Amino acid sequence: MRPELILLAVAVGLATWVFRFVPTKLPLSRAGADGPLQRFLAATGPAAIATLFTASVLPMIAPEIGKDLPLILGTLAVLAVYAMRPSVVLPTLAGAVAFGLATYLFG
Amino acid sequence: MSAQPTPPTDAAPAKTSFRTGLAMSIPLVLGYFPIAFSFGVAATRAGLSTAEALLFSVVIFAGAAQFLALALVAGGAPLIISALTLIVMNLRHVMYGPTLMEKAGTNASTRYAWLWGWCLTDEVFATTLGALARGTRFSERFVGGVGIGAYLSWIAGTGLGAVTGEGALDAFPIVDAGLSFMLPALFLALLLSILNRTQLPAVVVAVGATIVGTLAFSPTLGIIAGMVVGALAGTIRKRRVLP
Repeated sequence: MRPELILLAVAVGLATWVFRFVPTKLPLSRAGADGPLQRFLAATGPAAIATLFTASVLPMIAPEIGKDLPLILGTLAVLAVYAMRPSVVLPTLAGAVAFGLATYLFG
Repeated sequence: MSAQPTPPTDAAPAKTSFRTGLAMSIPLVLGYFPIAFSFGVAATRAGLSTAEALLFSVVIFAGAAQFLALALVAGGAPLIISALTLIVMNLRHVMYGPTLMEKAGTNASTRYAWLWGWCLTDEVFATTLGALARGTRFSERFVGGVGIGAYLSWIAGTGLGAVTGEGALDAFPIVDAGLSFMLPALFLALLLSILNRTQLPAVVVAVGATIVGTLAFSPTLGIIAGMVVGALAGTIRKRRVLP
């Protein structure tokens, strides 16, 4: 195992761990008042998840018409199953199955 | 979408055990495995040994950063430049801890945050936050359960990818394609589960900022722009018009 790779992995891993762990100990997350900071933190979750969904879907959008069908069907499957059964697991699996089938049939 | 989210059927409020967290990690396990598998394949292609590929997944545990690390290593980038680039890329994670703790409440324990914080990836954060938003009570064991499921899947996928190489899923094209949509589907389901009218501006702005940032600059900047600008949009309150 190359020493420079070990050094790189340890440096990045340590910094990432600090980013993830240390802020959980900061008092800013425990402020009770409904101030701008609390509203910022409350909005961070939905904003982050919307961002991650957008970022994960963007590379899948194809320039040619019709090539996006698996993406559209997968997304619709998530929405439809969520509307019928508001949970996380089933809509996720339904979206993946619809995407896989559509890719196989039309992709 | 509604002002009062309907309680989901797969998130019982009282169960916050490690096992519940582990069960909640199933979509993550299924979504992580093929991506980690791809990483294992890409790592060996980039000249890393199986042990080196596993080292990255065990020690870094951050998908996008790991793929970028391969590009940097293969391109011969200096160590310090590679490290700084990857560290900056993971800077977005500083927002996750405070957001979770804000949702968890003032009495939530962080005694073992040094441990479960290790696993607080984008997806583990989103899954945990979604569960809390739907009424699941915070516990460190619960977050640990979500995290360890994702972590083990990531390591297993990397190892298998590095050992077997690509082509292992060639015989299962539907599964192969379906797994590639697992994470987007998970993010969408999570978003639906926590969405309410109050947070709608933050969501719309986040989506717009992500698209603009990605197309104009890079995917990494798009993600940071989406999270920060979206969260800032959420702090703006409509002024009430007095009669």
